[in-house]
Amino acid sequence: MRIVAFDEQRIGIVGNDETVVDITDVLQKYEPLGPEDLLPDLITHFDELKPELERMAAAGGGTSLDGVRLHSPLTRPSKIICLMGNYREGTDRPLQVLDLFFKSPEGISGPGDTVVLPPHQADIFHHEAEVAVVIGREAKDLTAAEAMDAVFGYVAFNDVSARGLGRSGINSFLGKSFDTFAAFGPWIVTKDEIPDPQALSITVDVNGERRQDYSTSDMERPVTELMTYISSMATLHPGDVICCGTNHQGLGSMQDGDAVVTTVSGVGSFTIHVRDEHQRAWQRGVDRETAERVKASAQHPVAAASGGSAS
Amino acid sequence: MKLVLTSDDRLAVLEDGGIVDVSEAFADVRYRSAADRMPRVLAALVDRRQRVEDLARRGQSMPVPGLQAPVPRPPKVIAAFGNYREGSDRERQTQDMFLESPDSVIGPDGTVVLPNHQASIFHHEAELALVIGRRAKDLPADDRALDALAGYTCAIDVSARGLGRVGPSRIGKSFDTFTPLGPAIVTVDEVPDPQDLQVTLAVNGEMRQTYSTADMEYRVVEVLAFISSYMTLVPGDVILCGTNHQGLGAVQDGDRVEMTIERVGTLAVSVSDPLKREWPRGVDQETAARQRAVGTS
Repeated sequence: MRIVAFDEQRIGIVGNDETVVDITDVLQKYEPLGPEDLLPDLITHFDELKPELERMAAAGGGTSLDGVRLHSPLTRPSKIICLMGNYREGTDRPLQVLDLFFKSPEGISGPGDTVVLPPHQADIFHHEAEVAVVIGREAKDLTAAEAMDAVFGYVAFNDVSARGLGRSGINSFLGKSFDTFAAFGPWIVTKDEIPDPQALSITVDVNGERRQDYSTSDMERPVTELMTYISSMATLHPGDVICCGTNHQGLGSMQDGDAVVTTVSGVGSFTIHVRDEHQRAWQRGVDRETAERVKASAQHPVAAASGGSAS
Repeated sequence: MKLVLTSDDRLAVLEDGGIVDVSEAFADVRYRSAADRMPRVLAALVDRRQRVEDLARRGQSMPVPGLQAPVPRPPKVIAAFGNYREGSDRERQTQDMFLESPDSVIGPDGTVVLPNHQASIFHHEAELALVIGRRAKDLPADDRALDALAGYTCAIDVSARGLGRVGPSRIGKSFDTFTPLGPAIVTVDEVPDPQDLQVTLAVNGEMRQTYSTADMEYRVVEVLAFISSYMTLVPGDVILCGTNHQGLGAVQDGDRVEMTIERVGTLAVSVSDPLKREWPRGVDQETAARQRAVGTS
C-alpha cells in the first residue's frame, strides 16, 4: 500500500486505479490533536485499519495523482537517523564501524518542494539519494528476528548536504540540517510491497542527467542490522525514520534552478527544486573528486576502532 | 520563575523549599502523552506568565515531590561541540553543533543506564542548557535572541567514548538515559548574565568539574544565532552549550552524580551498569590535557 500526504493536510492511499483516495476522515476516530498526529496514528493502528484501507484502495475512485499536490509523507518525524557512509562503493574493503548522526526533523521537503540553499559559505551542496526505513512501532533492543516486524515501510530520501562547514577534519553533520535539507517522497510504501530491501536500485537525475545509480545490495550494514543496532541505543517511535546512507559514487552539486529527481525502485520517484539567492555555480556532473576520496577511504575498518575524542 | 513538571504530571512553580501547583493555567492545553505536553505548555507560557505568577502567589506551597525532566521529550536536543577556552588563551574554534536523540532525556533523580556497548569510558559533561520558548529562525547575536528562550536548565551530557568512527562520531551521546535535564526551567529574568554562572559537578561528593560560563567561546546569544541560522527552533527544543573538559571523569555503576549551576539549580542522578565495569575514579587528566591542546581546528 502507498500512503501519501496531499493538498491541505490530507492523508491518502493510492488506489489500485492509481487515484488518491482520501482517508483523513477514517483517521479522525483516533482524535488527532493536529495534522501532525495523522500519520503516526495511521502507522500505529495500521493492522486494525488495514482491511478497511484495502477495501478503499480496491474501490479506488479518488482524485487522479495529477490532480493533487503531494507533500512529504513524513510530516515531522520525532527522529531522522542517518547512517554514515554505509556502502562498499564497489570496493571489496573491509566492513567499516557502524556510525550515524541525527538530522533536523524541522522544515522537511517533499515532492515538488524547493530546497533553499543558505548563504553559508559551503564548499558545495550535494544530493545524496537513499532508501529510508519508516518505523512501525515503539521499539527498543530489537533482536534480528524481531527487526523487520518493527518496520512499517520505505520511502525515498534525499539527504541534502552542505560540505565544508563546521570544524575541519570532523566532517561536520550540521551542514545536513538546514531547513528544507531533508527531502522525502513520493509516498510511504508498506513493507509487504518490498520483499527484499537489499535489492533496490537507487538513482538521482539532475536536469535529466544521471548522477547516482546504485543498488542496496552493496549496503555494508543491511536493514535488519541497522534496526537491531539503533534500537540498542535509542527507543524508536512510529514514524521515526532510519536513512540507510548513500553510495557516494555519483554525488554532484545542487544549484539554483536544478530539478533533482530521486528514485528508489519499488518505492517511487519524486522531484525537488533548488533555489539559491546567491546564484552560486559549481561544476555540473558527477563530483569525481569526492567519489575517489570516499572510495579510497577505508579509514574506519572495524578492527581499528579504538580511542575516541571528546566534544 | 522556576517551572517544574512533577512525576504525577502537574505543572508547578518551584520556590524556596516547596512548589505551588499552577496546572490550572494550562488546563486547556491538549496533549496526548505527558512527554509531548511541555512544548505546548511552553508555547502557551509566553502569554500566560502573569496568570502563572498570580497562581503561584495565591496558591498553597507543598513539599517538593518527585520531578520529571522539565521537557521529557524535546522536539530537538542540540549540543555544541567543545565551546570553552578551558583556561587557555587560544583563538576561538570554528563554531559547530550536532543533534542528539530526544529520547535520551531523563529527569532529576533518574538513573543513567550504561549500555552493553564496548565504550572506552563513559564521561559526565555538565552543561548549561537553553530551553526554547517560541518558534525562531535567524536570531540576531545579541540580547534579542534571549526572547526566544523559555529559560535555562541544567544538563549532564553523558558521553560514551570510543564508539563509532574515531574523530567525528557523536553516537555515544545518544543512548537512552544519557541526557539528564532539570530540575526546573528558570526564566531568563532570573539570570541577569548567563555568561557569569558557576557550574560544578561532583561524583559521590567528590568535586570534578568546576568552571564559569564566562569562559564560553561562543556566548549564549551567539549559540542561538548560529543554530537558528541553520534550522527553525521550536518551543521545547533544548540546546546544550557545551562543557569545559577540565574535570571530566568516569561515571560507573552505583555513582551519584550531582551538578549545580548557580541561579539555575541542582540536578542529581544515579548511574547503573548491569555489566559492573570499572574505570579509575577522579578527574580524567588525559582527556583534560588533550582538550587543552586543542585549538587549531
